[in-house]
Formats: sequence, C-alpha cells, structure tokens
Amino acid sequence: MSEGALLDRLAQAGPLHALLTPLDEVRSGVAAQATRPPAQGVLAGVPLVVKDNICTLEYTTSCGSRILEGYRSPFDATAIVRLKAAGAVIAGKSNCDEFAMGSSTEHSAYGRTNHPLDPARVPGGSSGGSAALVAARAVPAALGSETGGSVRQPAAFCGVVGIKPTYGRVSRYGLVAFGSSLDQIGVFGDTVTQAGRVLSVISGRDPFDSTCADRDPVVPPERPRDLKDVVIGIPGEYFPADLDRGVRRACERAMERLRALGATLRDVSLPHTKYAIPTYYIIAPAEASSNLARYDGVRYGPRFGDPVDVRALYRNTRGQGFGPEVRRRVLVGTYVLSSGYYEAYYGRAQRMRGLIAQDFDRVFGDGIDLLFTPATPTPAFRAGENMADPVAMYLADIFTVTANLAGLPAMTIPIGRVQGLPIGGQLIAPAFEEARMLGTALALEAVVTGTEEA
Amino acid sequence: MNAAGWETVIGLETHVQLLTRSKMFCGCSSAFGAPPNTNVCPVCLGLPGALPIVNGRAIRLAVRAALALGCRVHARSIFARKNYFYPDLPKGYQISQYEEPLATEGGLEFTSAERGAVRATIARLHVEEDAGKSLHDRVPRATAVDLNRSGVPLAEIVTGPDFRSPQEARAYLLALKEVLQYAEVSDCDMEKGSLRVDANVSVRRAGETALGTKTEVKNINSFAFVEKALTLERERQISVLESGGTIVQQTMLFDARANTVRPQRTKEESKDYRYFPEPDLPPLEVPETWLGEERTAIPELPAAKRERLATRYGIPAQDAGVLVQTPAVADYFEAVVAAGVEAKPAANWIMGEVLADAKQHDGALRVPPPALAQLIALVKGGTVSTQAGKRVFEVLAERGGEPRAVAESLGLVQVADAGALTSWVDQALASHPSEMDRYRAGETKLLAFFVGQVMKLSKGKADPKLVPEVLKQRLGG
Amino acid sequence: MSVSKDEVLKIAQLAELHVDDAALPVLAQQMSRILDYVAQIATVAGSESAPPFIPGPVSAPFRADEVRPAPLAFGPKDLAPAFRDGFFLVPRLGQFAAGADAAVDDE
Repeated sequence: MSEGALLDRLAQAGPLHALLTPLDEVRSGVAAQATRPPAQGVLAGVPLVVKDNICTLEYTTSCGSRILEGYRSPFDATAIVRLKAAGAVIAGKSNCDEFAMGSSTEHSAYGRTNHPLDPARVPGGSSGGSAALVAARAVPAALGSETGGSVRQPAAFCGVVGIKPTYGRVSRYGLVAFGSSLDQIGVFGDTVTQAGRVLSVISGRDPFDSTCADRDPVVPPERPRDLKDVVIGIPGEYFPADLDRGVRRACERAMERLRALGATLRDVSLPHTKYAIPTYYIIAPAEASSNLARYDGVRYGPRFGDPVDVRALYRNTRGQGFGPEVRRRVLVGTYVLSSGYYEAYYGRAQRMRGLIAQDFDRVFGDGIDLLFTPATPTPAFRAGENMADPVAMYLADIFTVTANLAGLPAMTIPIGRVQGLPIGGQLIAPAFEEARMLGTALALEAVVTGTEEA
Repeated sequence: MNAAGWETVIGLETHVQLLTRSKMFCGCSSAFGAPPNTNVCPVCLGLPGALPIVNGRAIRLAVRAALALGCRVHARSIFARKNYFYPDLPKGYQISQYEEPLATEGGLEFTSAERGAVRATIARLHVEEDAGKSLHDRVPRATAVDLNRSGVPLAEIVTGPDFRSPQEARAYLLALKEVLQYAEVSDCDMEKGSLRVDANVSVRRAGETALGTKTEVKNINSFAFVEKALTLERERQISVLESGGTIVQQTMLFDARANTVRPQRTKEESKDYRYFPEPDLPPLEVPETWLGEERTAIPELPAAKRERLATRYGIPAQDAGVLVQTPAVADYFEAVVAAGVEAKPAANWIMGEVLADAKQHDGALRVPPPALAQLIALVKGGTVSTQAGKRVFEVLAERGGEPRAVAESLGLVQVADAGALTSWVDQALASHPSEMDRYRAGETKLLAFFVGQVMKLSKGKADPKLVPEVLKQRLGG
Repeated sequence: MSVSKDEVLKIAQLAELHVDDAALPVLAQQMSRILDYVAQIATVAGSESAPPFIPGPVSAPFRADEVRPAPLAFGPKDLAPAFRDGFFLVPRLGQFAAGADAAVDDE
C-alpha cells in the first residue's frame, strides 16, 4: 500500500474515532520509517496500527488515559522492534479502553470508538480501535493486547481475525502491564494468513521478558489443515440454553462446515467455566493495582493541580488522571490484596485458576485436538448498554477469559452475520499449538463466509 | 550494662549491597558515585512496559553469603512485590522476597563483652532491589530524587532477638562485616551505604521471658552510632516504663547531631505492603552445582583464621583478632613471617605502623612483606634503633626501596664500631669534666647524662645499647 | 461482602488515589457489588486445595552480570515533569509518611 493510499484510508476511517494519532503525525511517522534501509522481510511495506498501550518510539503511548497524556516512550516494545525489522510500517496508535480495562472501548479517556458497521454500537474492547481499523480495511493488520479477551472479543464484534497467543509466546517487554500473569500482545488481521504472518514476526524468545518462553517464533502453516479425523471438542458450557439465537445459528453452521471437512465433533465439558469471570476479576485487578502504582506524576506524564506536597501530587495525579473504571479496579485490586484478604481472594483465585486449567488439560489429554466455541455471547452491543452495572460489562468476556486464565492460545475468525452484525467463531488450542490452531482456522476460513447472514 | 533490673532485647535487620557490576534486574551499572540519574534505563526508572531480568551473579553472591552464614539455601524461592509509595521507589513496589526467601536458619558467632562467645541466629537471608535516593535539603520545599541506586542488588539479613546490649549488636555487625568481606560478597561500607542496619529494640524486667513491645530504630549510619542509638532508645524505653507509661510500637529515628532518638516525624499509617508473588518473575531456582561452587569460593573465614593464626604462630588471641580484620591484612602477616621474622614482632609492627599507614591510605598495605621483614630484622639486630626504624618505614611506604639502603641514605644506621664510639665517648667526657668528676665520686646516675651527650654528638647514630659499656670503660670503674 | 464508605476511603488512601466525598457512597456500592460477585469462587468444591496455576516458564532465567543498559532513546531530563541539576523534583514530603523502608533523610 502506498503512503498516500494508506493516509487516504486512515482518513476515510476517521469517523470511527479509532485512530488516536493525528493524521499529520502519522504522515511524518511513516515517512521517517521509510528513510531506513529498504524494507526487506516478511512484512515489507505492510502498515499496522498499534494499540495505544504498546510502547513505540514514534507517536505517543497514552494507554487511553489522561495520566499518560502526551507520554512519549523512549523505547520500542520488542514486538515493535521485530515488526520494523521485518519491514512493517507503524501507522499510528489506536484507541482502547483505559489501560486495557474494559470490553467496549467506552472507557477510553479520549472518547469511544464506533463499531465499523453501526456507529451506535461498540467495536468491543479493550482493543476496539485496532479491530475497527482492520475491519474498515484502513490497514491489513494491527496489534492489540489481551488480558481477558481484549483482542478476540473486538475481533468477533468487528468481523476480523483476532489471535491471542499462548502466554509467554510473545514478549511483553513494552506492553504496558495490566494483569501481568494474563497479558499478551495479540494480533488482528484481515485474513488468517495475514494475522499468522504478523504473529510469526513478533513471537519467540526475548531476553528482556523473564516470562517469555524459550522457544522459536511461531511458524504459521502455508496451507489449510486437513481436518479428516481431527477431533474437535464442543464444550457444552459455551452453548448455554439462553445463548443468543443468532450466535448459535452461526456457530452451528460453522460446525457443519467443519464436519463436512472431515472433522469429528465431540461434546465435552469444562465444568469450571462459569467461575472464570469472578476468578479473573480478582486476579486482574489485584495485579493491576500494583502495576499501576508507578503512575504517580514523579518521573513522567503530566501532573494535576498544583500539589503542595508529595501526598497531594500522588492523590491528585491518580485521582484525576485515572478514569472511573480504572479507579474502581485499582481499588478492588488493592482491597483483595490487603491484609487479611489475600488468601481468601487472590490466593483462592490462583487455585481456581488451577481448576480451570485442569479442565482444559483433561479434555486435551483425552483425545481432543482443539475446541470450537462462540467467541462472544452476543454480537456487538449498543454504546451505553453495559455502563450502569460494572459486572454486566464483565460478562461480555465470558467465553474468552478462560483461555487467558489457562494461558492457552485462542483465536476468532468471522463465521457469519446476524442482522448485519459480525459473529466470531473461536478456536482454543493446547499450549504452544498455534500452528495447529492457525491451520484449522485456515480450513474453516475457506469454507465460511464472514459476511453471510446466519 | 543495663539499668538495674532491666534486660535489653535487640534484633537486627541488615541490608548489604552485593558486589556486582550491574543492577539486580537490569543491565545498568551499579557503581557508586555517578552523576545523578545517569545509570538508568526503562527497567530501573519504572517506565511503562519495562520488565525485570534477574542478575545471575547477584544470586550466586547471595547464595555464597547464605552458606558463609551457615544458612539452609532453598533450591526454590519466590520473588514478591512489596507495595508502597515513595518518590524514590519508581514502580511503587519493591521486588523482594517474602514467604519463600532464598535462605533461612543460619547463625553467626561473635564475642560479647558480657557473655563471651554468642551465636546469633540468622532467621533469613533474601535478595531484593534497592530504592533510589531522596535528598530533602537540596532544593527548598522540594525533594530531589536520584535513581542511580534504584535496582542495585541487596541481600537482607535478619537476626532473631538475640542481642542483650548495644555493644553486642555492634560486635555482631563487625563480625558480619568481616564474614561478608572475606567471602567477597559485599564491601560492607557503612559510609558508602553498602551496609545499612535497622534495629528492633525492646526491654523487659530481668527474669521475664515474654518480649516487651519493640520499636524500630532507623537512620544509624556508622558502627559507632549503632551503640549510641541503641543505648539512647533503651534508656528512653526504661524511662517511659519506670514512670508508668507504655511503649508505643513505632519507628524511631536516630539523630546524630542532636544525640537523640525521636519518633518518625509523621503519623504512621498502618504499613500494609500487600505482598504477593511477583508475576513478572518465575520462581528462583538455584542450580545444584552452585552450592558446591559457592561453598568452595568461600575462603577461610575470620573465626577459623583467628584460631589458626593464634595457634600456629603463638600470638595472643587479641592480636590475631586484629590481624584478621581483613583477609588482606591476615595474608600480609603470614607473608611477612614467611619472609623470615618472628611472629610477635611482625604482629606488633603490623598492628602499629602498617595499619596506621593503611588507615591514611584507603587500606593500602604499602610496604611489601619482604621489605617489612628486612626492616624488622635490621631493628632486631640493632642496625637501626626502633625510632629510626619507624622513619625508615615511612620512607619505604612513600617511595619504596630497600630498607638498609634507605636507612643508610637517611644516615640512620646505628654505629657499633668501637673506634667511632670511643671517639664520641672521649669527646663527651672531655666536654664535661666536672660531671666526670662527680660520676667518679659516686653519682653513677650521671651515666644517663653522658649517654645523652654521646647520642647528641653522634647525631643519634651511636648504638645506644653499646654506649653505656664504652662509657663505663672510659670512665674507669 | 459489604464495603463501607470508611473502608473505601482507607483503601483509597493505601492506593494514594483521591476520591471525592460525594463519590464515596456510589463507589462503596459498586465495590460491594463486585466483591460479592467475585466471592462466589469460595463456594467451589476443591478450590481451597487445588494447586495454583501460574503460566510461564518454570524458573527465572538469569542475565550475565555485564554493564549493558537496556535501550533508552532519551533520558530522565526529557521525561520528567520537573527536573533540575540532574534530579527529579517532587514537592516537599509534608504530611507524607516516609515510605516504610525508605532510608530517612539521606542528606
């Protein structure tokens, strides 16, 4: 894509309010990157937008928050270094829920992003901006991040491919930490092949991240996988009786196509699924409350008010710099870690996580190759619909959060539309089996039409 | 010495900086003294997106320290976050260890003036990162923060409530410093801040077994201040209790200038550190091979060396204690003896001249062992007087050289030649005929006067041991 | 699990986060709602003793002890909201309790 064409498409996508970087900055950022040695590599000339919580030398990294308004990172995230080395062009930072906390991008301090097909609806979150820009074909791929489904859920809502790698598959160095034991950089793509290519570039061992696995980068398959005799598990807990009928229809159609490709579908059970959300909403806020303690106005970022002493500096900066959702989670997190509560909440949640991981181990150890489920319980909801009750918003992640808790790779591809709104079908694979997962996704992608009404 | 009827109970928490080139969790230099905020990177600045990576050598040194202190080293331990806010703590938490530390259950023997040999229990040794420095008096109404020290590797060493006096606390710290210096784990320099100590102090009536309420004493910056600060706090507590009050559990700060301890200025909110395992770091596993390697890396430790020197060289235990202060001094002593002098004179010269000179020159032992040995032999043999020997030593230390040659060039070689001595003696006698008469009349104590005159005439070169004999001869009688 | 306004205030203080008095009741109610919701995991059979799951490598990798700082394109001076003579500047400590283990009055 030429620079001019790129800027045109980004401009066209302007009304989505998905791109945080002003276009003239994108123009100069892209031009500066073009002056480097001629682009070689697997992603030569491919423009990507990057979620605002991933550190880039170009543009600002504000994590959708006022507390980092105008912050310029003095280093590139490892994933960004690798993208650039592969010839990719970083075409701006995309909108997200503040510090990745949210499922609709409505919690961004810089305003919400519109759903690409219906401005009254949300694109999902927290990586809503990246999802929307790929869906609008402004860029063929984008980076997002996952803690509890924040790539797959918006990918499903917007009708694009979204991948969450195995925990430790992609370096977190330069990903602004939210829930450290859950966070991973994830990939959006217009196709499975495109997303897989980006994943292959950014993945692999990194000496700057102690939690990054000592493994080679993902090698994406070149061809769809032959699904003959592949056993795909269908967990009953992801198809509750009250599942949105449109979602169910789209999934059943996709399952038929999988069968037609030769796969055997088997009913399985992941009995602790319903505890995934409460487990997540102990662990993630707890870790976040600690990870966000560094935002104090001392060494970077703006200061708020005119603090007379250090206490005022902290309390004003954090009280005014953080939005309501972040404040809530920091307070909940501080509470569950506080003296007397650690064992009952965080301690117990880590064990609950063990039970959830065991569910998957049992199923994968019992001849199941991978799992197929809906990515979300509903299509994209309306803006404002889930803002009154914090827990209501949490439930949007009910099918995605389990993979984050168990550290497993998972991805969504568009499998149809319901009243014009995209629906995503999710694959969950055993740890480090991204190649198997991508091969299966390629096979499914070839036989479903994402834009087809279910 | 306790106020009558009171017993003091003290426990110590020591932080030592480990001797690494780089910081605990990043590749920045951990060297002291750089211009502010120049040894920094995203990790130790606590920038968004930064992550810690463990310095393997820091762990090795901590393992070595733990072994030298007789601890049980745990093959697996866990890093934990200690969460609190302070301007020089960039992440808003310190990466430390909490429920599962690197080592536990060790001990260290020291000598108590009151109780003799005492074994302090070492409850735990764990690794953690240091915070930066806050300077409160540099800029009016502001605090200046330097993060060079942020992330420097520390070992925290915690004793049980084992000390019964401020003197014992100090003795333990000196013993700890010796061991850690010997093991080359830390240079334990309180002035440079590579050894810091906080103390827990309580008192109880003699004979009571329950522990009294303790306070924490901080801001102790030298070994001498250790005794001072703890004595002040003990006295304060006794005074409070004797007047019917109760001890409030709080942090007390030692103020060296005012020579007091006072409660920490501000109201303490409850310290809830919300410890939880560090999610950015997998468990710390110490390779099995390291245990053997680090045990081997520990040299003969001070207590054993003290024993050995006293026994092997027949020097008093007290002298041996001085000589083992640092491994360099102990090695020096042995080298001097090996070069051919007796142990006692060697020990005396080292405890005297050599260490005095070293103190002025940053610990340097400036006179090589063979040279010192030669000098000691010259003095013993009477070639130079003891006084002259000290002057020769000074020159050797400053400029090097060969002891005899230096003595000669300074004109300090004592003259034992009979002819020269006789000539001086005759001169002295000739100049003082009335004293000569008085001596011959029976005032034999005038001999000393004549010795003095001979020394003056010879400009100190006459061998004072031989002069009286020659005088007596010439005085006849 | 009901969280009172006072508790919310205490937690906000621990988190060094200013909360308006007017906002306290709503916040207390929301936090109670969330904590009630998440507390259900205590009812799950086996959750008391199940081994915790922590993803990632089995042990922490070690870095060689070399002076090799991580890349930093520009330094504290360009990041800091207040900087003078090489130091980050913050307002005076005032009522702020010295951090529990902060060395006191370094200079």
